[in-house]
Amino acid sequence: MKHEIYQLESDRKLLLFEFSSVGPKGKITKLVQYMETNLNNYYNLGFGDRDEKTGEINDTVITNNGDSQKVLATVASTVYAFTDKHPDSWIHVKGSNTARTRLYRIGITNNLLEIKKDYHVFGLKDDQWHEFRKGNEYQAFLIQRKK
Amino acid sequence: MTMTIKQLNKSKTPIVKINKALDKLADKILFPEKLEEANRILKKVGLPKTKRTTR
Repeated sequence: MKHEIYQLESDRKLLLFEFSSVGPKGKITKLVQYMETNLNNYYNLGFGDRDEKTGEINDTVITNNGDSQKVLATVASTVYAFTDKHPDSWIHVKGSNTARTRLYRIGITNNLLEIKKDYHVFGLKDDQWHEFRKGNEYQAFLIQRKK
Repeated sequence: MTMTIKQLNKSKTPIVKINKALDKLADKILFPEKLEEANRILKKVGLPKTKRTTR
């Protein structure tokens, strides 16, 4: 899974990552945040654009900057950085809409063999977690680094 | 432990530059709706059972 990625910056705890998407729409700041939920070691992955003028974060905007694969690969790479620092954590991933969740599913599917070497991957279906399998629709994903 | 360039190129973990200016922002909940949804799912569905495996 050696895709081209953007240069990442992070806070000292490796909970918030920032990178810049560069394309026809210009330079757009992207943020990836791992925020702990009510359960210890269970984090939610949030991902969106930051408006440099207002400082507002938007996770529903469709950027169309012509670099979606590179952006997705960069977000995926933060999982490695995050789980290096937080190896026991679970990461919950869900798109802001059905299309984006589907995009995540395609990204996982296309790299499943490689991902499964390092991670347990589950998909949420009918209110249950199932081991991720190609061809299935899921409402959310849960990943944990293998020991 | 230092890594060689070859090891670095093969590593799946990206090079991350630490930016202390992000520390403050990292403490804020930037995606509250997503976090709420994750908490809702966690409460309702719980966690999957995993078998311990080695890489």
